[in-house]
Order: sequence, then C-alpha cells, then structure tokens
Amino acid sequence: MTRDGIAGLICLALSIAMLVLIRGLPQSSFVPIGPDFYPRIVLIIMAVLSVMLIASDLWRQRKHATAAAAGAEPAPEKRNYRLVGITFVVFAGYVALLPLVGYRVATFLFMAALQAMMEPPRNARRWAVVLISALATTAISYVVFDNLLSVLLPRGSWTGW
Amino acid sequence: MRIFTAALAGIALCAVANVQAAYPDRPIKVIVPWSAGGDTDNIFRPFGPALQKALGGATVVIANIGGASGTVGAREAKSSPPDGYTLFAVHDYIHSTYYIGISDVNYTDFEPVCLIASTPSIMTASPKTKWNTMQEMVADAKAHPGTISVGATLGSTSHFFPALVEKAAGIKFKYISYDGLAQRMNAILGGHIDLTDGNLTQKGKVDAGQLKFLAIATEKRSPELPNVPTLKELGIDVLYSVSRGLLAPKGTPEPILAKLESACGQAAKDATFADSMRKQGTDVRYLDRKAYAEFLKQNDTLNKDLSRELGLLKR
Amino acid sequence: MFDLLLAGVENILHLKYLVPLFLGTFVGLIGGALPGVTITMTIIIVLPFTFGMDPLQGLATMTGVYVGGSAGGAITAALIGIPGSPSAITTTFDGFPMTQKGQPGRAIWLGIWSSCFGGLLAGVFLIGATGPLAAIALEFGPWEYFALFVFALSMVAGLTEGSLVKGLLSGAIGLAITIVGFDPIMSVPRLTLGTEFLRGGFPFLPVLIGIFAFAQLMTDIEKMNESEQLSAPIKAPPLVVSHLKVLWEIISRPFLFVWSTLVGILIGVLPAIGGSAATVMAYDQAKKFSKHPERFGKGNPEGIIASEASCNANVGGSLVTIMAFGIPGDAVTAVMLGAMTIHGIQSGPLFVSQHPTIAYGIYAAYLLAHPLMVLICAFGARLFLRVVTVPKSMLIPNVLVLCVIGAFALNNIMEDVVVLLLFGLVGYALVKARFPLAPLILGLILGDQIEVNLLRAIMSDPNPWLFFTRPISGSLLALSVASVIFALWQHHRHKGRAENVEQEPDF
Repeated sequence: MTRDGIAGLICLALSIAMLVLIRGLPQSSFVPIGPDFYPRIVLIIMAVLSVMLIASDLWRQRKHATAAAAGAEPAPEKRNYRLVGITFVVFAGYVALLPLVGYRVATFLFMAALQAMMEPPRNARRWAVVLISALATTAISYVVFDNLLSVLLPRGSWTGW
Repeated sequence: MRIFTAALAGIALCAVANVQAAYPDRPIKVIVPWSAGGDTDNIFRPFGPALQKALGGATVVIANIGGASGTVGAREAKSSPPDGYTLFAVHDYIHSTYYIGISDVNYTDFEPVCLIASTPSIMTASPKTKWNTMQEMVADAKAHPGTISVGATLGSTSHFFPALVEKAAGIKFKYISYDGLAQRMNAILGGHIDLTDGNLTQKGKVDAGQLKFLAIATEKRSPELPNVPTLKELGIDVLYSVSRGLLAPKGTPEPILAKLESACGQAAKDATFADSMRKQGTDVRYLDRKAYAEFLKQNDTLNKDLSRELGLLKR
Repeated sequence: MFDLLLAGVENILHLKYLVPLFLGTFVGLIGGALPGVTITMTIIIVLPFTFGMDPLQGLATMTGVYVGGSAGGAITAALIGIPGSPSAITTTFDGFPMTQKGQPGRAIWLGIWSSCFGGLLAGVFLIGATGPLAAIALEFGPWEYFALFVFALSMVAGLTEGSLVKGLLSGAIGLAITIVGFDPIMSVPRLTLGTEFLRGGFPFLPVLIGIFAFAQLMTDIEKMNESEQLSAPIKAPPLVVSHLKVLWEIISRPFLFVWSTLVGILIGVLPAIGGSAATVMAYDQAKKFSKHPERFGKGNPEGIIASEASCNANVGGSLVTIMAFGIPGDAVTAVMLGAMTIHGIQSGPLFVSQHPTIAYGIYAAYLLAHPLMVLICAFGARLFLRVVTVPKSMLIPNVLVLCVIGAFALNNIMEDVVVLLLFGLVGYALVKARFPLAPLILGLILGDQIEVNLLRAIMSDPNPWLFFTRPISGSLLALSVASVIFALWQHHRHKGRAENVEQEPDF
C-alpha cells in the first residue's frame, strides 16, 4: 500500500468517526431537516471517495507488480525532514508562549530560535546578526501594528506586556 | 540571548507595576461580536473616536470577534481580564442566545457601562408582494396561515420582532433563516422572502419602490417616515427596537467604571457621532449605568418570556 | 453619463483626492503582497484612518486599497509561491514555476499588466451595464445559489492534477471542515467533542493561511540541506523585462483575456461568492479551453493572465454590486460596504442618481487606481524583489510571524492561532500525500453557503424537485454533471496520449 492507500484509509476512518459523532443531534421545529442532514451527505461522499482511492491504489499496485517488478522507484532526493520537525516544534512553542509572555517576548524568542535552528551561527558575529534581526522584526512589527495601525497583538497573562 | 531575555523580562515587570498608575494608559479594546461592516460595527466604529476623545486621547480599538451568532465574541469578552481595557459592544441578542441555549454567557457576567443607541424595527415587505398596507398583510396571513415567509436570524432580534407581531395580531408566519440584514435585503429584493425586520437604513430602497415599509414599531411615527403607520395605531401592540450598549467584564473596578460611564455620556453627545447615527437611521439613546442595568433586567425578562412562547426556551 | 465620468475623473485628480487614492493603492499593494495579511485585514486596518476624511476622500482610499490589494497578491504568489491574499492562489500555479525558471520579471509583470487591463475592462464594462446585471443577480433564490455553488465545486474536477478521485476527495475534506462547529440555522454544536474550542468551528482564514503557508514553507525547508551554505545570497534574478513583449503576450490572447475578465465580472456581480472563486473558475476555464492543458502548472503565461485578469475584474464586479444593492460578496466587500454606510451613503438603486458626484467619483477612483498601481509597481518592483533575495532562514520565520499576526488580528483570539498551527500540520500532510490543495480551499469557501442555501430552499418549500425544475438551478446542476464528465474525458484522453507519464508534483 502506498501513500494514496494510507491517505484513503485515514480519510475513511475520519469520515466514519464523524458519521458516528453526528448522530442524535436535536431537531428544530423551524427546519424540516435536522442539523445532521447535510453533514451526513458530505461525510458519505467523503467515505465513498476514500474507498475509491484505496481500491484504485490496490488495483494499480497489482498491475504494477505483474507488469514490471523491476522498475524500482528512483531513490528519493535527500529531504531535510529533521528541520521540518524542528520548525513545527519551535512554532508550536511560539503558539504556546504567545498568550503567556505576550507578543513581544514570544516573537523575539521565536525569531531567534528558528533562525538559529535553520542556520546554526558559527561565530559571535552570526549570533549578533540573528539576535539583531529577531529584535528588529519584533520591534518593527509591534510598532507598525500595535502602535501605528491599532491592530492589537496578544498580551501575556504572565507578563501583562 | 539570556541577557536579552532577562532584560525583556525586566521591562515586562516594570510594565506590570505601571498598570495601576493611571487609567487608561494603553489602548482600550471594544469587542464587537460580529464581523466588520455589520450594523453593530457601523454604530461602534464612529463611537470609538468619540469615546477616545472623551477619555483624553487613549486609543480605542474596535476588535471584531465574529462567529457563531455572536457568541464567540461574548465568550471572549467574558473571559477577558476585568481591567477596563476590554469592553463589550452588545445588543439584545445576549439575552436570547442565552435562553435558547446557544451560549452560556449571560448579561449578568458583565457590568453595565452605558446604553448608546437604539434602532427601531420596521416591518418591511418585498416589492413582489401584493399588499400595500399592514392591514392587507394581516388579512392575507389570516386567510392563509403559515404561508407568508419571513427572513430572520432564528433566535435573534430579527426573529423575535416578527414573533411579537405574530402574537399580537394572531397570525402565523413561516420562517426562513437569513443571517444579517444584508443577506435579508438581497432575498427580499429578489422576492425570495415576503417580509423581514428592517430599519431606517433601507429608506433609499423604499423611495426607489424596491421595498415596502408596512409599519414601524415605535410609540410615535418617525419624522423621517411620516407616511408609515406605527404598529400601535393599527391595534398591534408591539414596540421593538434593537438597543446597543457597552458592557465591561464582571469585576471591573468601580473607579474605572465611573470614568468610562462619564466618558460614554460625553461621547454620546459628540456631534460627529450623532451625525453618523442620524445617517444610519439610529437614535442616540444614552442611559447611565444604573438606568442601563434596569433596562437590561427588563429586557431579560421580556426575552425569556418570548423564548418560552416560541418553544425555544432551554433554561 | 460620459460627461459625469469625466467630471468624476477631473474631481479625483485634485490633490485632495489623489493623495488618499495613491496612499490607499500603495498600502493595498503592500498588504496584498504580504503573505498572511489579507485584503480584508488591510481594509480593516485602513478604515479608521478614513473616518476623519470627507466621504469621497475616504472611499477613494478604500477603493485604492481594494484595487491595490487584489493586484498585490500576485507579487508574492509569483515570486515566492505563497498567495499574498486568498484570491491569488491560482497565480501561484504558474507564476511561481515561471520564477523558478529564472523569469521573475516576466511572471510579475504579466500579473500586474493583466490585473490592470482586466480591472480597467471590468470598470468600463460595468459603468455601462450595472442595471441589467443587477437584475439577473436578484433573481437568484436559494435553489439557484445552491446549484451555482455545486457547479463551482464540480470544477474541482478540472483543477486536479493526476487523480480525479483525489481532487474530489480533497474538495470533500474542505466541505467536511466546514461542518464542524455550530450548525448555521439553530446553532446546534456539531462534532465539537464537547469542547469550547471547536464550538465556533474552524474559521476560514486561519485554516487557509495554515494550509497554504505551511504546505509551501515546509516544502522549502525540506530542501534546505544542512551541508549547504544557506545564507549565500540567492543571485538576484533580473526583474528587467521587455514590457512590450509582456503586453504582446496578453494582447495576442484576446479570447483568453476577455473571457477571464468576464468570468471575474460575473462572479463579482453575483453576491456571496467572492474573489477566490473567481480566479479559480477563470483558471479552470482557461485550462479547459487550452489546446495544451498539460502546460498549466509549469509556468504557462496563460495561467497568470487568466487568474490576474479575473481577480481585478472581480473587484469591479463586486464594487458595483455593493454600490447598487448594498449586498456584499465576501468579507472584503462587507467591509467596503460598511465604509460606505459609515460615510452616510445609502447604497441602493437611487444612489447613483442621488449622489452622482460620489458615485462617479468612486468609478473614477477605481479607474485611476489601476495606472497608479502599475506606476507604484514600476518603481517598487525592485523592493518587492528583495523579498526573494532574503535568505530563507530569515524570510521563513518572518513570514510565519506575519501569518500569526494575520490569523490573530482578524478576530483577536488565540484560538485562531492554534487553528493556524493545526491546519499547518494538515496542509503539510496533504502535500506529502500528494493531494491537490485548490479543491479543498474551494470546498472550504463554499461549504457553509451550500448548506445554508440547501436549508433555505427546503425551509421555503419542502419539494426537493424544485432544484431540478427551476430553470436556472436545473441548468446549473446539469452543467455541474457535464463539468465532471468533461474532466473525466479530458483526463482519459490525456492519459491515452501520454502513457504512464503521470507527472508527480515536486514534493
């Protein structure tokens, strides 16, 4: 089973789970059909399409297996999945910190951390560049949005700042 | 980097210490629980600068927190810190959404600040209907109960107004869900609904023959609409208007509330604000904290009774 | 009418109005170009500045923001492959590959000139044809809207690369996302798992920013090889381009250009659809009419022309609808309408005859904003290009911060930022599973509207056959079926011609 098949299975599982959860919603006297009517149609369509995806994946695999077992997939280019993982983790940390320490502190930390992770500074000068650019982004975006444009940015519940 | 963090933390502590010094020393956020461009937004956006002037220049920011019939914004306002830096722009929906079980937030979760404006409701008919007066509509409704369609946000003010008329005139409508005045206007112009709860902002369309105002739910006829009868003079005893005011989260300190109340009173007299309200067909109606609290209480009982009569009461 | 327009133009050319218009267009271009800052947000940000102005000054500013914002999205879309605003999604499909081929100048100027001409053509067309078009839009009841949205969604079939099933499934996922949260009529919580967090559902913009920004950025990050010298400045690609050549590329495709503009106008005039649907539809049409549909997605100039011409034509369409009817098409036009109401303008059919100075002033501002936009781009193009030459390790964190501001500031709640993160993960997973993202976005945009109109139709009349027997609704539904069948056929033909060369997207 390839990526398609796995994706199909996940979608099928999700649509079935949602179909189970959608049952038994209260009806209203004003609407002839309940709040579960439309979701049910959408979820059934989604489930059917998932099954079709799984089936076509299995069918294609069998065809490939009989036709040419030799044609191995070309070796995938080396991908930096580690960095993707790190970015998600750092970003999640940013989202978690925002309501606690506020926009200014959290953004500075996030900018510095992510830049340092993406391109580890090798000397003091690089560190300075990272910190200064983090500070600049934080300061400029805050002044522009919060002060000049009155777009209020999150304040920290720990710092009140 | 540690030094930077320490320095920032230090600055943050200074900021905390300063909060108590003088109110207001940073921007005040007014939560409008609907998206920008709606009726409530249009009333509070010009009110913001007026309030700002009255508060001595502290920035007043309108923050639109839309979604789920206005209940997302209500929840956000309720959970905001009661420090006077977050206010809540509210109208009568706060009572109805509570009683019909959409929202857990009640008006008692807030401190009243002031009432600023009220917009009278007008029974508005599609140009494609055959009636020219309220009486013809009522007669038609009595002859064919449940066939006249009304566009409304179910469970909100645009539903309760026609429901009051139903009760007072002894007729029965069919309701079709249209959220927001703009969507209802689209449907009524095209004749996809027969009636809706309108207001004076639609006067231009009436003059163009695209809409019909049947009756207005005020005590006396509006000077802007001398030819539109009141429901009361037609023997349908319904007074209805959508009233918009400001609330603050429960527990906001007394001195801050007092300061906001007086600023609010001053802002309500602001000429620019009054002018923009006149253009929107809304009456500036200022009530101070005490009067507004009384108003909210009465309104709450009214909405609870209505919800019960409509069979929607959930608590 | 013509002398009224001329008087309007003369009026706007006064410094008193020209300066706000210029500033509005400039701010709109920047706001539209910044990923995560949408036109809606830019308009909301600019709105308070207009309170102190006289009505025409304020509305000229807002018109500038709207026009500039719609064109600005193309710059980011073409240069870094992230739509600066939702309606620029389709510009990424061909603009970004063109940049990657080393022709960034051609990519953005094709976009800018197409926006300019598409917008101008729409303006000229609409000043004359407001009345009849408005009459058509009004005839649409819930049945017709339901059918129209289903038709738009059926177009996903034409948008999909590779597997049709995957394209449709992607659209279904988009629809499924919209059923979470309160039901649209009686606000019954659905699929909330008992949490407060999910009660309001997933707001459209954070989902969109999350899916698109992360799908793009994470794919970029994957390719950052640790051994490589990352901060080595990317060679500044030359933005110089022969404008005559670019203009010729547009003019030599009159049918494509006019058709895309018409699609943009039509979607703009029809209320409640909005800009993103217009560009998606125009792109899809361009691809269907093309003799070489397989070239789309690889830097085809036709893809850029179709999406950008329709994008700005859509602005013209919605502008007239909100002026004549007071009916907003989407969040952006809702705010524009709010701006008019704040300035005391009663939108309605009497507006143009009662306030000709303001009405024609707005028309004139709209027409003038286009050449202004081109002028600003001509001087600012190098500045915009800086965006691509900034090292990725610096650019990506900055874009992520802007995404957070964009997601937060629209509703001012942290929940939306969490949604952003959640759908960032979903978007990346979908890309890794090689799902096309455009159908999902269309499903997301149309999901609520499809449900609401279905329910309204049934509340108005419980007879389900009305969907097929009402002429407009019936023919739109027939067209939807035809659209899927046509896609199947085209897909089949394509497969037959190029046996097993189904190209995989570069993920």
